[in-house]
Amino acid sequence: MLELEGVNTYYGPTHALTDVSLTVNRGEIVALLGANAAGKTTTMKTIFGLVRPRSGTITFDGKRIDGHPTSDIVASGLALVPEARRIFSRMSVMENLQMGAYIRQPGPELDADLERVFTLFPRLKERTAQVGGTLSGGEQQMLAMGRALMTKPRLLCMDEPSMGLSPILVQTVFDIIQEIRAQGVTVFLVEQNAFMALNIADRGYVLQQGKIVLTDTGKNLLTNDLVRRAYLGG
Amino acid sequence: MSVRSGTRPEPAWRARLRALLRDTTLAGRPLEWYLSGWRLALILLVVMVIFPWLVGSTFVADAIAVGIYITLAVGLNIVVGYAGLLDLGYVAFFAIGSYAEATGTFGALQLNSVTGEVIHTPVLPFWPLLVIGALVAGIFGIVLGAPTLRLRGDYLAIVTLGFGEIVPILFNYFPFWFGNTGMSALPPADINLGGLTITFSDPLNRIPFYYVVLAVVALVILGSFSLRDSSLGRAWVAIREDETAAASSGVNLVRTKLLAFGLGATMGGLGGVLNGAYIGAISPNDFPFFVSITVLMMIVLGGIGSIWGVTLGAIILRFIDVDLLGRISQFVQANPVVNNPVSPLHFLSTVDFNQAKYLIYGIMLLLMILFRPQGIIPDVRRRRELKGIGAAVESTSAIGVLEREEAGAELAAVDTLDQTTYAGPGSDDIGRSGD
Amino acid sequence: MHTMALAAAGPAGFLNFLQAIKIGITAGAIYALVALGYTLVYGIIELINFAHGDVFMWGTQVTFVLITALGITSTIGGWQLVGVLALLVVAASVFCGVLNVTIERLAYRPLRRAPRLAPLIAAIAVSFILENIAELWRGPGQIAFPNLFPSTALININQTFVVEYRDVFIVVLALVIMFALSRFILGTKLGRAMRATAQDPEAAQLMGVNINTTIALTFLLGGALAGAGAVVFTVSTAGYVWFFTGFQFGLYAFTAAVLGGIGNVNGAVLGGFMIGIVEGLSIAYLPQGSILSTAVVFGVLVLVLVFRPTGFLGAQVPDKA
Ligand SMILES: Nc1ncnc2c1ncn2[C@@H]1O[C@H](COP(=O)(O)OP(=O)(O)OP(=O)(O)O)[C@@H](O)[C@H]1O
Ligand SMILES: [Mg+2]
Repeated sequence: MLELEGVNTYYGPTHALTDVSLTVNRGEIVALLGANAAGKTTTMKTIFGLVRPRSGTITFDGKRIDGHPTSDIVASGLALVPEARRIFSRMSVMENLQMGAYIRQPGPELDADLERVFTLFPRLKERTAQVGGTLSGGEQQMLAMGRALMTKPRLLCMDEPSMGLSPILVQTVFDIIQEIRAQGVTVFLVEQNAFMALNIADRGYVLQQGKIVLTDTGKNLLTNDLVRRAYLGG
Repeated sequence: MSVRSGTRPEPAWRARLRALLRDTTLAGRPLEWYLSGWRLALILLVVMVIFPWLVGSTFVADAIAVGIYITLAVGLNIVVGYAGLLDLGYVAFFAIGSYAEATGTFGALQLNSVTGEVIHTPVLPFWPLLVIGALVAGIFGIVLGAPTLRLRGDYLAIVTLGFGEIVPILFNYFPFWFGNTGMSALPPADINLGGLTITFSDPLNRIPFYYVVLAVVALVILGSFSLRDSSLGRAWVAIREDETAAASSGVNLVRTKLLAFGLGATMGGLGGVLNGAYIGAISPNDFPFFVSITVLMMIVLGGIGSIWGVTLGAIILRFIDVDLLGRISQFVQANPVVNNPVSPLHFLSTVDFNQAKYLIYGIMLLLMILFRPQGIIPDVRRRRELKGIGAAVESTSAIGVLEREEAGAELAAVDTLDQTTYAGPGSDDIGRSGD
Repeated sequence: MHTMALAAAGPAGFLNFLQAIKIGITAGAIYALVALGYTLVYGIIELINFAHGDVFMWGTQVTFVLITALGITSTIGGWQLVGVLALLVVAASVFCGVLNVTIERLAYRPLRRAPRLAPLIAAIAVSFILENIAELWRGPGQIAFPNLFPSTALININQTFVVEYRDVFIVVLALVIMFALSRFILGTKLGRAMRATAQDPEAAQLMGVNINTTIALTFLLGGALAGAGAVVFTVSTAGYVWFFTGFQFGLYAFTAAVLGGIGNVNGAVLGGFMIGIVEGLSIAYLPQGSILSTAVVFGVLVLVLVFRPTGFLGAQVPDKA
């Protein structure tokens, strides 16, 4: 469904991604692991055209998306829950969700999706009029996920959705991720919380200093020595 | 994706020129040895000293005007080029210098208490005024700078612009300076050296005053070089590149910026004093916003931060102004294609290209910013600073790096929109309504 | 309570005061229209669009050309006046909107990645270009222009406090436009996209917003408002067109935007009226007020930027995520 091949990304002289190749298949949950500054966010930004790769190709459903404007990439069925949420802090919860539906036509389908988001995140329904910036961190994360779902993506990318959340909330977030997948959305997940991520992931990739150094099924990675030492503290 | 190489290939003509300078020798040394560092300055100085004896008197007058503008450009370059602060009201210091000279040599307006007659008494001769005018302008620079320097770049630009507008209005407002009519400004008094009298007031022989201007220009350029290489100069580079980092490594931000403002203003004042003595009469209308922009234009054209660059910029612009446009007008009007009354281009025969001066300046400024922001003679040091660090994209330092370095060129267009870190507020959202 | 003070100043004094305020409000309405253009653009790309005042000036030129083409040389009235005004407002708004978009495309967009003062210098250059084309075309002088409004007063007290049709027209038109703008920004999808882009351009892109289009739309709106302001200014207050109008007018309007809190739409409107009133009172009460009022307004600009750069309604804390 999503395929990166030989992607190289630079920030000025900094070589942030080196020959990154990875695949996400329809219906999967795929996790991307890596230490701080490994290039996980850069991978996401590159997929979404927020940073342009210098070489390599990115295809989504067989079509090249690299070099296209972000808005077109989003319109083709990809959505990103960005690192640190990035909700519109001076807009209400409802307006944030409406921004999520920006590329869509109003109609019964959209209303149904809004209801679905409210079912997933009942908190948001209680607070539709509240200004985004005044939500708690956890609520902001829900809003960011709900907003991304409102674009009706076929592939949902998430950059550290559990960052800064309490253990209980982290569990909730991961439950919801599985539920989203159950509703037919493919998920590509960047996580620091390797244990949780690998538990729900079908497959995973490990990124080190901009290079993919390891890939396997989620289960195998959980027991992999390198992963255990580096990310699972064991 | 295009492949990016570290350095662009050198154009052929430049490579050939470089080879010529390297391979031609004079007294056992290659030509390029003579054309670098202090030797170049010395050669230029010698040329400028004999210059008036080689050309006619109108050229000498033009050279004086050029010299005054070089003083301004080199002064503004300290503020804009060294410290990275955009000053759009530089004309204020030029005006203050000019008015200081006029007030001193001609005297402010007074009324004879008996007859009610208008009188004015000269206070000081030209020479001390050269220092005093510069100092007064410098003090105003610091007074203006003190409260405004913590503003972020674009706000500072507008505040200085406002100051540049207010100063001539105040000179206009107070009858003390003869209001809108303006006042006389006198050249230096004659100097008697035994039998030889040097006179500065002969409009047909400007050569003595030319040497005064030349001395000031040489001094200003020399001072600017030594400032650049001083520890103060390094502090300016540091704050231009990264204010926060500079502050945390011990640079006193306020003091450093104030010194840039003050020194730049001092040179503006010097230019003003020379200007007063040269044109002989000044009025508030001589100091519009255009002057500030013209000087800024010289800097951008020549190369921000580069002393020889801004000097060249001043020469080019003044040349366009006093000479080239007139020639273009004559050329066009004399051209048979235009001359012929039935020609479709005949309407050009009434166009005076001198009037298009500011239009041409504006177009040049825009093209420079868009296509060659480093100017004609780029500042070498600035280029070196930029190599290897990705600072260019995220630099908040005002004009510090006008040049779009290749660094970060792959960032998608808008990626940097929100990377400009805020130094201050003002980021309210356009839709805030009803609160 | 106030009667004592009023009596002391005398009825004529009070009427003079009212008249100065009225002049301030009508001028302020126009400043507000132009200030909105500064604030919209600053809100979205943090650029002081220095050329905005000159876009306004070109609106006055277009107004002049149309009036001349229509052969109108003096006062008209009734429906004819309404029709002419509507035509002028539409034409000048379209012209200035398109001009502003063109400027953004050619001069600012290529510099979006450049350090922040580069686009400001580009804007200054554009301002120079616009001004001087107008000067070459129209000459350096002010060209007189007929007042289109019947001079019958709606209110006339002692020839001192006078309210005419044109005063009503200025204020009503400005308020209608501002209301429409506010509805657009707060209540429509495109308006929401503009706000989203202003708050976080990257996140807005992730919602599928095309930033270039949104920014162009912002310039279009800002230009259109300047065009409407230019018509009002030309037909009812100025009495002339002049290539240099945009410089000072633009700075006044920019001052208004800053005073209200740049980036804030309500602030621009508030600031516009405040600057108008400050100017009106300075002219009426300061010695040589018409000279000094300029210095007063620039003084306000400097003081606000130095001591309260967020303006009156601006955000206290920048909350960029
Ligand atoms: N805009 C930028 N300009 C220059 N360098 C950048 C930029 N963004 C990221 N980098 C650098 O690229 C490298 C990878 O950063 P990235 O944000 O992708 O890491 P990450 O894996 O997401 O880390 P974290 O887990 O901390 O979020 C880092 O060294 C970072 O400093
Ligand atoms: Mg990250």
